[in-house]
Amino acid sequence: MKRQYHYGRTVLGASLLGLLVGVVYGNPALAHKAKHTPEQLKAFEQVFMEQVKVGDLLFHGDEATQKRLGVTLSNTGMACAMCHPFASDTHPYTFPKFQEQVNKFSTLRDMINWCIEKPAEGERIEDDSDAMKALEAYIYWSTRGSRLEPGRH
Amino acid sequence: MDHTLKQPGERPDTSMEITRRVFIHKSLLAGAAAGAASAGWLPWMNTLDLAFGAEAFKFAWISDSHLYPKTVNTRFVDKVTRAVKDLQTMSPPADFLIYGGDLAQLGDPVELELGADILKEITIKKVFIPGEHDWYLDMGARWQQLFGKPTWTFDHKGVRFIGLDTVSRGPDYWTAKRMTPKERMGHMATLDGSVAGAWAGVGRDQLEWLARTLSDWPKNKPVVIFSHNPLYEYYPPWNFWVRDWREVHEVLRPYTNVTNIHGHTHQVLYNEIGKVRSIGMLATSWTWPYAPEGVPALTRCKVRVDPGDPFDGVGWSKLTMSAAEKIENEYVMWRKDILGEAPWDSGCADNNNQILSPRIADREWPYYGAYK
Repeated sequence: MKRQYHYGRTVLGASLLGLLVGVVYGNPALAHKAKHTPEQLKAFEQVFMEQVKVGDLLFHGDEATQKRLGVTLSNTGMACAMCHPFASDTHPYTFPKFQEQVNKFSTLRDMINWCIEKPAEGERIEDDSDAMKALEAYIYWSTRGSRLEPGRH
Repeated sequence: MDHTLKQPGERPDTSMEITRRVFIHKSLLAGAAAGAASAGWLPWMNTLDLAFGAEAFKFAWISDSHLYPKTVNTRFVDKVTRAVKDLQTMSPPADFLIYGGDLAQLGDPVELELGADILKEITIKKVFIPGEHDWYLDMGARWQQLFGKPTWTFDHKGVRFIGLDTVSRGPDYWTAKRMTPKERMGHMATLDGSVAGAWAGVGRDQLEWLARTLSDWPKNKPVVIFSHNPLYEYYPPWNFWVRDWREVHEVLRPYTNVTNIHGHTHQVLYNEIGKVRSIGMLATSWTWPYAPEGVPALTRCKVRVDPGDPFDGVGWSKLTMSAAEKIENEYVMWRKDILGEAPWDSGCADNNNQILSPRIADREWPYYGAYK
């Protein structure tokens, strides 16, 4: 009887451990609890930098990238970088804020679309589109290290 | 460099007078940033008066129109056309116009010919220097057919004027990669690109020519040098600088009254190195933000520009020698405000919290970093 009890406890402990391992590694919702491996970190960075590069090309008016993503950011021959070399004067760290041109409390995405539609006379892009995410990635990457100051004019 | 060139107690010619003055000309607020801290002048002064001891006259500067063919974009056409019309109303008229480069956007003959056609309306003497946007499609062939030699000099009413070519001597980054002329031009036209390397320069032959040209000119008589790029080191990552600018200043060192007037930066800029003054001119096409570092201390920054207004922050320049034998540089901007009066209106105020990184896409180029 005593031996059976010990056996049962071992089985229970093993089951709980298995469950814990299963939850941590099998459930995406809790996956971040795991320690990142160098390989994972490299992969995350790679995904980000791939988007930065796509954004860089879009920002500089690359036609092939615009075609691939199905967007027209300008109809005047202007590109974002012509007024914003190295994404200067985009100030992504100041959003959200009241933006005079848009005349409302705006996100960076609102401002990106305003620039596309007004100065560049291009066609508005969806907020959750690949092109918007890539443009955001490039702008944030280019100005990283600047101090976060949301709301600053 | 300024320390090396400027001996104790020296500053630009003593005949130069700087006055703190904001003058309203018609509806335009005009002025050039000027000053010299070492002599106790205040760096937020608005106009620059230079006593040249010469006969009174005016000349005008237009540059950086970056014309596309009309089928692509007429906004840049509209603005240079307006500058031409403004210039035509000058009374008394200017003695000559200097067009300071970047007439075209991609060096396309259509663009250059469109520019020549617009400028044809101007009947006074015209002289031209090239910009990089004019040059790198056909290596200056069409530009030279239309506008002549890129380097020149002439004397006018007691002033020696010199046009320098600072664009044609870029390193050959295209042959090894077998780039097409369009690809070569594309990299050159990408203002914050790095593939073309540090392309702005004067070159040994032009330096020698400059020394010869000035050898018979009295050391204290006025010299005005036109260049597309500024003749000092201002933010190399954006290719503002002339890479052999130090050698240019060495040639100019014996002369006490030298003014460099340049385009390319699309900004209000003022600098002094040794005895040489440099004044940056406005573009007619679009305005550029100030760099995150290296803006000359003597610059009084232009106002933050409304990007929705194509006529804001751009324009041309009148340079007037008055009856009192002084030259006033007057920025003619089509919107009222030209200089930021408060930090939040200044184009330099945003630099304080702006850390920038060079673009990533260029780094995949196999020769990245080879042309510095």
